[in-house]
Amino acid sequence: MTTEQKMIAVRAWDAPVRVFHWLLILLLGFQVYSAKTGGQAMLWHLYGGYAVLTLILFRLLWGFAGGTHARFADFVAGPSAAWRFAKSLISPRSAYFIGHNPLGGWMVLAMLASLALQAITGLFANDDIATEGPLAVLISKKLSDQMTSLHHWNLWILAALAVLHVVAVFYHRLVKKEDLIQAMFTGVKRLPEEVVAASGTPRKASPWVALVVFAAANAAVFLLVKRPF
Amino acid sequence: MNIGKSMMLATVGFGLAAGIAYEAAAQVKPEVLVKQRKAAMTLIAKYIGPVGAMVQGKIPYDAAVVARNASFAEALSKMPWDGFETSTQNFKETRAKPEIYSNSAKFNAASDSMQTEIGKLAAAARSGDQNAVKAAFGGVGKTCKACHDDFRND
Repeated sequence: MTTEQKMIAVRAWDAPVRVFHWLLILLLGFQVYSAKTGGQAMLWHLYGGYAVLTLILFRLLWGFAGGTHARFADFVAGPSAAWRFAKSLISPRSAYFIGHNPLGGWMVLAMLASLALQAITGLFANDDIATEGPLAVLISKKLSDQMTSLHHWNLWILAALAVLHVVAVFYHRLVKKEDLIQAMFTGVKRLPEEVVAASGTPRKASPWVALVVFAAANAAVFLLVKRPF
Repeated sequence: MNIGKSMMLATVGFGLAAGIAYEAAAQVKPEVLVKQRKAAMTLIAKYIGPVGAMVQGKIPYDAAVVARNASFAEALSKMPWDGFETSTQNFKETRAKPEIYSNSAKFNAASDSMQTEIGKLAAAARSGDQNAVKAAFGGVGKTCKACHDDFRND
């Protein structure tokens, strides 16, 4: 029984992962709002897009340079592991993970891919009024229109992934009694002692590395948007 | 000139007049109508675009260009609408949604709003008031977008 297990606190998410997560949500809300408003707000939609692209780039790099559970190597599981975990989900006794579980890992990749697609197509998109992405000048109008279509359709894929993500979080809360929302704020999960003991000492993230990676992501987006060369 | 000759001339003249009237009433082919409204929209975007870039500070503000472009756009804003005849409904190469014809009241209101907003932009541009141009431009962008969202396929 879960009640017999001794639960201990363990650090799951480093600060950069948490800041990335909540900042991304705020920015996506702003992006939907500015796109729906249109008119002069489109200028801010572009700025918001650059910020989202910076965050995505940061998260991709952080997946290699971050703390243990921020790394892709920690949570990208093979399809058979994901399938086994999916089957076990029906029971509340399914396995615990400090970082992402095998299905959650795939969800992270799917969301990052969809977000990257959204940000990149946005760079080349146009609204047929007075706004176009900073790289739209490099391609034909026809291709830019196709990018715009993709930008619009992918929004629904992104929304569907987000809904699935939230449903999964509530499933964990209601069925497995795991409060993942709180963990994403505090960085701390409460898990059975043996799960924590089995995972060994986690590698801590360096705030300096985070700063360097963030600066690199900013510089890359700046160069892409401004194209000073 | 005898009676017979003038009668003949009158008949030919009448016939020609009738022919011209018939030509005017004859239907313009759907592909021409679609081309017409796309051309009008393309030109509107072409002349509005630089005004937007100036309002957003991407390129230096040039009051003379703004005034000229806005007056072009004002005239053009009246031109797409008679291209949306029902004969174009089944024409493939258009992103026009069927709602244009099933909800024509709303579509007409949208087209009126677009002409009003571009008219305001042209008036602001004539006045030379840069802030008024900026405000009016926001309205133009919104009316374009509202109609595209409702009546144009992605």
